[in-house]
Amino acid sequence: MKILLVDDEQKFAMMLAKRLALRNIDVDYVYTGEEALQKAQNNRYDVALLDVKMPGIGGIELKGKLKETHPDIKIVFLTGHGSKKDFEAGISEGAEYLSKPLQIEELLELLQRLKP
Amino acid sequence: MDSLMEIEKNDDLAFYGQVNASISHELKNILAVISETSGLMNDLMELSAGGKKIAPEKIMSCGHDIVEEIQRGFGTINQMNRFSHSMDQTISRVDLIQLIELMTGLAKFLSFACRLRLGKPPENCSTIRTCPFRLQNLIYRTLVYAFKSTGPDGEVHITIHRETNDSVCIAFSGIGLDSDEPFPEESTKKIAASIGAEVRMTGSNRTIEILVPELVEP
Repeated sequence: MKILLVDDEQKFAMMLAKRLALRNIDVDYVYTGEEALQKAQNNRYDVALLDVKMPGIGGIELKGKLKETHPDIKIVFLTGHGSKKDFEAGISEGAEYLSKPLQIEELLELLQRLKP
Repeated sequence: MDSLMEIEKNDDLAFYGQVNASISHELKNILAVISETSGLMNDLMELSAGGKKIAPEKIMSCGHDIVEEIQRGFGTINQMNRFSHSMDQTISRVDLIQLIELMTGLAKFLSFACRLRLGKPPENCSTIRTCPFRLQNLIYRTLVYAFKSTGPDGEVHITIHRETNDSVCIAFSGIGLDSDEPFPEESTKKIAASIGAEVRMTGSNRTIEILVPELVEP
């Protein structure tokens, strides 16, 4: 399973990527939607973990762009807001949704469920 | 129903709520970093306890990152505290630079913020007697518009100068052209009028000016 993690909170992205790597999960992490699209040009990802609110291309717009080139990619939105509105936005966009701070076990369970 | 409608239309409450929502988002981000960093520290220590050789620097680096994030959290809570206390007195003498620094710091939590540069003001316009909360609202609204119009890669320059003997001008220059929204819109004009201020945009060089009178009588 290969994961693309996109979050403008740089330390969060780096730390989470390290924790996933320690669990033998192949993960690339970037800090902007633009970088994510570049990565996706040359890589095939099974799951994208996307922060919702980012400068430039936000998570919801990024999901649409990733789906154009990777129709099978599974999307998990990560957000610091955790409001009902965010949750509904995530579901209506046909994606999963996790609220920050994350519980690593919850994320691992979700990834297991999304495994192709 | 009328009283409920009044709450809905209350610009002060809306502003207070908007700023607090962005502060809580920032605090959640800080906690998320602390949570992942302490989680990584725990992962490394478990591996070490299981016999895997882990460089002590890796664990120390996590500790250092956690301390940095805690300091960031204290800074955010300090800003939250200063913002909350700005409602203590309806009218007071305020340090303009401190007030602008507070609002730029809070506005930077917005995901679409651009870079901001604050120029040093002349000696004769560093403080002003006004309603700090309403002036903060005007500055925040201007910054939100500036961010939307300029984009995350742009930079807005903020300067202060004395406009007349009894008024000070806060100018935001370098505003981009990305936003189609009108500014200042009616509610901003209303807030400005309540403190005798005026918000105006100069078309040629994309500068927004907030003219604030030196004294507002209670």
